[in-house]
Amino acid sequence: MRRRLFLAGSGVVPLSGAASNSAAAQACPATATLGGIGEISLIGNSFPAITHIARRAEACARPGLKVSFKLTPQARTETELAFASAGRSPFDAAVVSMGVFSNLYARRQLAPLTALVEKHGARYKLEERMLVRVDGEVMAIAFMQNTQCLYYRADLFDKHRLAVPKTYAEMAQAAARLKTDEPSIAFPIAQGFAKGFDSATEFTNVLASVGGGYFQGNGAAPAFNGAEGVQAIAAMRSLMPYMTPNALASNSDDVVNQFQQGKAAMGVLWASRAARMDDAAASKVVGRMQFAAAPAAVAGGSSAAHLWWDGVVMPRKALRGPDAALRQEVAFHLLMNGLSEEAVAAGNDLTIWVRSSYKPGRFGTGVTLAQAAGARQWPSEPFFSLAHGEVGKVLPEALTGEKPAQAALDAAAAAYAKIVVEKGFVKA
Amino acid sequence: MKLRSFVGFTAPSVALMLGLLALPLLLTLWLSTRNCSFEMELVSVQQSGPFGTQAVTTQRAKVNAAGQPVQQCRDVGAEYYRKVLGLDNAAGAADKTANEFWPALRFTLLYVMGTTPFVLAGGLALALAMNRVTQKLKGVFIAASLLPFIVTPVVGALAIKWLFRDNGLVPHLLSHVGVQVFWMAQAWSAQLLVVIYGVWHVLPFAFIVFYAGLQGVPQDALEAATIDGASAWQKLRYVTLPHLAPLVVFVALIHVMDAYRVFEPVLVLTQGAFTTSVQYLTYHVLLQEDNPYKASAAAVLTIVGIAVLLIPLLRKTWREQRQGF
Repeated sequence: MRRRLFLAGSGVVPLSGAASNSAAAQACPATATLGGIGEISLIGNSFPAITHIARRAEACARPGLKVSFKLTPQARTETELAFASAGRSPFDAAVVSMGVFSNLYARRQLAPLTALVEKHGARYKLEERMLVRVDGEVMAIAFMQNTQCLYYRADLFDKHRLAVPKTYAEMAQAAARLKTDEPSIAFPIAQGFAKGFDSATEFTNVLASVGGGYFQGNGAAPAFNGAEGVQAIAAMRSLMPYMTPNALASNSDDVVNQFQQGKAAMGVLWASRAARMDDAAASKVVGRMQFAAAPAAVAGGSSAAHLWWDGVVMPRKALRGPDAALRQEVAFHLLMNGLSEEAVAAGNDLTIWVRSSYKPGRFGTGVTLAQAAGARQWPSEPFFSLAHGEVGKVLPEALTGEKPAQAALDAAAAAYAKIVVEKGFVKA
Repeated sequence: MKLRSFVGFTAPSVALMLGLLALPLLLTLWLSTRNCSFEMELVSVQQSGPFGTQAVTTQRAKVNAAGQPVQQCRDVGAEYYRKVLGLDNAAGAADKTANEFWPALRFTLLYVMGTTPFVLAGGLALALAMNRVTQKLKGVFIAASLLPFIVTPVVGALAIKWLFRDNGLVPHLLSHVGVQVFWMAQAWSAQLLVVIYGVWHVLPFAFIVFYAGLQGVPQDALEAATIDGASAWQKLRYVTLPHLAPLVVFVALIHVMDAYRVFEPVLVLTQGAFTTSVQYLTYHVLLQEDNPYKASAAAVLTIVGIAVLLIPLLRKTWREQRQGF
């Protein structure tokens, strides 16, 4: 009865080898002359920008070259399992976020792409800022970026003569005004405070904004349960009186829904979701939402947001076998076909692309705003996701006040301290 | 039957069961007593990308001469079982409060106990009602009643969530009669929501099994009861229900096994807030903690939990089987 979960929403989209030679040669000339290769398997999350890349890669299919691009919400898990497999990885390449990149890199499961970039980089006009280098070696090619920014109802802010908030305190003040003065808004703030990933990501943003960090020095010992952690939870709680009581189950989808239905007037949300505000089929607030840098959690702090990138990587395990080098080269061409200037131009508004040819519209300013407001890169420690996971577990109790913030964070730190030993980051 | 023929007939099934059931179970048991981790080293590296260049001190797996990351594996015995159960309380009080197993078990049992009677009673009521519907309408009604069971659990849970979340149909309708409930805001309503989903999703299964059973109720016994002056209730109580009894046990057995593994509605409806289940914890250990070994221990404990819950039902079936012979 329940075994169908991971099939839901997933779909392998293979293109048959029946695609014509000439069409493929036109779509991607680089792979047209490389002979019979068989099947190249790629994987990525199922959202619009990656679907766009998948379609471009699939256009290279021809007799002798089958392209299957698996688009699934479980891409992270499948990629990590595939890249860790004892034999050759079932996927020749994957699209990953920077958090997953950090884990894969730390486990030495990624193949360097330097030689391929040197050989073909000019052909695809790869820009230096797309190349994710570690000590000079290209380990990933970034194509899109993301961050959190403040969404706000410009019409209501104008109507009530409210200034765009720059801190959480100003946000709470503006929300208090709207709660009393604006009859259409019962809960002015909408933000992803759901248990787990969403609230832990908010905590991470706010913690950085108040000047705190997750770890002590360069080590893996926890520091997120220090004074700044408690301060971060207090800042998050200061917004809760203005949020729906359902906030602890509100993920990004629910926040988008609250904005689109005109039930919330402001909140911090992923920049990549901005275009949905003007989706006339689902939104009642078309043209009324504006975007600004995420407010700082405290006066003088940095913007409570982090910078993310998504990129393509290849597994080290694919390098086995006689045809390994050729397969790697073909997979590279397929992906570059999806990341080319033409591909970006054709899907300009699908995401915030890294390429300089990208033309940010009304919805594409999030990353620039966050960078200007001092947002940092998402933490790259390979043990970060373990701490993030434990924090996400305890936040509901701390946010409702059921447990003091310090006690909740101490519990998360204690659990994390054990996990980090199990995973070998700290010696027992 | 000769031993040779017996073995010949049963060998394919036995091989399949050993390969697909026993072996994975033994492997899971073995994995639950192991732990493997990479041997990490502290490195300072220069990282560059879309957001500029920075010097980072981080950890990275050591590699051997062949360029392969070095892994260290060891036996941990029952350590992961103790950890999942929260019995490793050497680290003090913070440990106990962080352990989610017991609250998760409590909610899982609440879900099992909360859904099973409604699934059985609702399924039976629906089957009895359907038995009275005219032949022409039966096809339509049966197809409609089966829909919740056919829908993928995640999609079904999403549909329920959208009905009950802010601006959803249910809160909207309730607001017209002056009732305002935020279903995901407190424990009782969040838990009730998951139970409602469970009943809605599984009821059609009970219904279709009972409906099939009703078709086999001996008509002569019913007619005899009618001649003897039995009321409709008495016919149900003394003829129909005893006939359906083995099916009630069967549905209860399947549902208890299934309900103990409740996962999708927890993930979709509340993301675990107030409703962490045993299976959700296994998922957390596997994906968030990235630890297949500890997740194996959690999985074995789930099997043990199901086995314990099934003991009364299995005993009943066993007795009936023996009586049958």
